[in-house]
Amino acid sequence: MTIQPLPLRFRIGLRRRPGTIGSAWTQPLAITGLALAGAWILIVIFVPLVAPYDPLAQSAQLFLAPSSSHVFGTDELGRDLFSRVLWGARLSLPLAFFLVAMAVTIGAVLGGLAGYFGGWIDEIVMRATDLVFAFPTIILAMAVTAALGPSLRNAVLAVVVVFWPSYARVVRGLVLSLGQADYVSATRLLGASSRRALIVDVMPNVAGPVLVLATLDLGNAVLLLAGLSFLGLGAQPPTPEWGSMVNTGTQYFQRWWLGTFPGFAILSVVLAFNFLGDSLRDALDPRSSWAVKEQNR
Amino acid sequence: MTSPASAANRQLIPGRRLRLPSRPFLRFLGRRLAALILLGLGITFVAFVLTELVPGDPAAANLGQRAIGDPAAVRAFREHYGLDKPLPVQYALYLQHLASGDLGESEQTHRPVRTDLSEYVPATAELALTSILVALALGITLGVIAAVRRNKLSDQVLRVISLAGISMPTFWLALVALYVFFFQLGWVPGSGRLDPGLLPASHITGLYTIDALLAGQPRRVGNAVQHLILPACVLAAYNVGLLTRFTRSSVLEVINNDYVQAARAKGLPERTVILRHVLRAALPPIITVGGLAFANVMTGTVLVESIFSWPGIGQYAFHSATTLDLPAIMGVSLFVAVVYIVVNFLVDVLYGVVDPRIRVA
Repeated sequence: MTIQPLPLRFRIGLRRRPGTIGSAWTQPLAITGLALAGAWILIVIFVPLVAPYDPLAQSAQLFLAPSSSHVFGTDELGRDLFSRVLWGARLSLPLAFFLVAMAVTIGAVLGGLAGYFGGWIDEIVMRATDLVFAFPTIILAMAVTAALGPSLRNAVLAVVVVFWPSYARVVRGLVLSLGQADYVSATRLLGASSRRALIVDVMPNVAGPVLVLATLDLGNAVLLLAGLSFLGLGAQPPTPEWGSMVNTGTQYFQRWWLGTFPGFAILSVVLAFNFLGDSLRDALDPRSSWAVKEQNR
Repeated sequence: MTSPASAANRQLIPGRRLRLPSRPFLRFLGRRLAALILLGLGITFVAFVLTELVPGDPAAANLGQRAIGDPAAVRAFREHYGLDKPLPVQYALYLQHLASGDLGESEQTHRPVRTDLSEYVPATAELALTSILVALALGITLGVIAAVRRNKLSDQVLRVISLAGISMPTFWLALVALYVFFFQLGWVPGSGRLDPGLLPASHITGLYTIDALLAGQPRRVGNAVQHLILPACVLAAYNVGLLTRFTRSSVLEVINNDYVQAARAKGLPERTVILRHVLRAALPPIITVGGLAFANVMTGTVLVESIFSWPGIGQYAFHSATTLDLPAIMGVSLFVAVVYIVVNFLVDVLYGVVDPRIRVA
């Protein structure tokens, strides 16, 4: 006889808050976020087909204002800005996903260890997060990148250094509080192994907050990377990167299109992830959600 | 048997707290102060490790191009920082230098970083303070409106606005704002802290608006404010978004409390109820955003000041970053981090004053 109750258990788990996830996703905010993020992801995949020009190809037509042949105009080396903005997505988005994944992994492992074992491991991990939080993010990221040498790789590394502590704290806090929760003790008393309790009972409740944080951080990562490149510490020329393109725009102030369009790209990507993250929080955590239910008065 | 009894005894002496009312608070203060000092040491350690991480020869990195042709300078540098000694000794030396205010010499300006910083700090202080005031006024107002009109259309609009605020790349907003309001509309003067022909009032605080006010020169006050307003608003964008969200949720926590209902029931106008009863109770949690708001403004200044040619530490940091002037970058980072943890400490203490429950936690 094979044992069947496991799927049932999962269904019960999902039914705990009936309908909430579905209803949050019908909100205009979530739909806009999904549409924007989806459009950018499609662009990332299909850039070579969509971009009309080679993003690195220079031409004699410098500083052309936006027109039908160059939708966003051309830059100081006669490159097509529209193509460069589209190719910029292929750089920023995968990097953002990559470094948030790194930060989540490092943070979750360290936070989990700290929460589970306590003692000196906990002390070391938490003091390390204190240290990172003692700096405004871009200041620390700037110092780290400058010390390691300006390059995209080091900028990514710096952002991971700045981002992991929030996950460590969230996971540690959740592991601590959930480990004491009655429903976890109940499954343990029913004979579940600690591994099973951790995976079946604790993990789903850790995953929600971490997912919300990670979605919001995707936007922050794009923002921070662009900021570092704007400072000249991230992507190096001639790489098409949004932050360094805006920097070029500040040097040729009157050619407004140079800075405006890459900036729009940054804004729309970050906005998309913030819309998604906020909607996700509404769906997963009704207490802290924006959509308040009027109390019974 | 004894320990629960004594614990109960301790709780049973109610006079203790009354006789020495300041003691829990002092203990709270002491704990926070110890944490502050430890954190300060930690920050210097991070800065030290980062300077150690620099690939290649730290002497070359810190002295720049000049060092390569001048072995005497390299030797002097090595001796000054004890680079030939073991790492713990180096760290001790580093701390000793810091304690005497030695942050090294900027490669770019060939002056001590400390001198540079002291020159640039007032400009940033003026900008940051103005920006935070603008953000507080706007953010709290919008947050209260959103909470009062919760779930209505205006609330949804404010939600989008506040999300847009925290999604905005500040350096891009600065560029666009300068192009529109200065270049196209001519509503604000272009860059710097004063018009080129104007000299600042005599140096008292270093904040041009305050100095001109103290000197009784309304024309200079007006000019300084005109120059200040656009960068301050650009820097405020992120904090407005943040404060709107915090204020909204904080107001919603209290808006349905019984005492608020009681205030309404006795016939007070809704305005008074919101301003006097609701907002007052909702303010303490908003204080905690203070530290965060400061961090955001500092982040903003690094990215924005150079666009407005604002001669503050943000522009200094920007130029140091673009030219890889390592001592200057580390100096700015240390300075900002130290101010940041002090601000956070003050926020903590203020919160402890406002909300006694925090002190025992």
